[in-house]
Amino acid sequence: MKNTITAILTLALAFTALPSFAANTMKITVNGMVCAFCAQGIEKRISKMGATKEVFVDLKKKTIAVEAKDGQTLDGKAITAEIVDAGYDVVKLEPVTQSVADIKAEMLKGRK
Amino acid sequence: MKPRFRNATIGLLATLASLPALCGPMGFKDSWMAMGDVSPNWQEVFFNYALTPRDAVGFSTLSMRSDDGTLTRRANEAVFTRLVSRWNMPDAQANVWFLAGVGTLTGNDFAKTKTLASPGIQVDYETTRFYVSGAARLYRADGINHDYAAARIGFSFYEVDYDQVQPWIILEVRRMQGLSDKTEVTPMLRLIHNRYFVELGVNTDRQVRANFMYTF
Repeated sequence: MKNTITAILTLALAFTALPSFAANTMKITVNGMVCAFCAQGIEKRISKMGATKEVFVDLKKKTIAVEAKDGQTLDGKAITAEIVDAGYDVVKLEPVTQSVADIKAEMLKGRK
Repeated sequence: MKPRFRNATIGLLATLASLPALCGPMGFKDSWMAMGDVSPNWQEVFFNYALTPRDAVGFSTLSMRSDDGTLTRRANEAVFTRLVSRWNMPDAQANVWFLAGVGTLTGNDFAKTKTLASPGIQVDYETTRFYVSGAARLYRADGINHDYAAARIGFSFYEVDYDQVQPWIILEVRRMQGLSDKTEVTPMLRLIHNRYFVELGVNTDRQVRANFMYTF
């Protein structure tokens, strides 16, 4: 009985912990993004979306990472529309498991 | 070279040479943009609001004077800006812009306020390290012709990340009819950050020049 309770608790903890490990992030490759001053439009527009927790613009790789708030889902079509309204073209949109904080940390590591 | 032919050549070169563009004369949809261009002979402030990703309406006020300071002009205009074409490439962007201003012109050598029309075109191309642009604009009123042409080319020594300041070296050549016989050449230092855009330079007549853009 003791083993069963331990197993159930472990399983329950594992399920509870899952969402915090798998970040709901979208990585978007954008054409035309060559200037930080102009790309601020992308950051501002996507930041205003209800499901957005954080936005990160990688000017060198021409990508944008958008992380959703906990329990919310990102709308790829709506994000694409915002990027187009900011004046750019979306080439690829893919889900990734990294959080924006992880992506930023990776970039800062590469900067050193 | 005859002045008329030379002016036409400069205008044509400005238009043709300015394939790509760094920051255009409007921001993203639903944004306001403020722009300024200040030097002893030229002071311009321009605001506009982007109604769509391609259309903006705004207001500009421009004060100009001749090289010797004897002639002055002030133009106040409502300005429509249209992004005619944009090419978004993996590592570059190119744009064609149309501008049309309508307003008033006053001067110290005529009594009544004149109606001013100022259609123009700007073409630009930029990468993260290279920039070239050209602009031609007609400033016309009854008995007045202050047609204007400018060309810019520049480069940055290195790429930066989005949160870093990027310095550029820019060389601008511009000319306006009717107020100056000179072609103004200005090397400038351009600094870009995601929130601001400033240029500082000194022209070949040792006059200081400052430009800025801000989107909010």
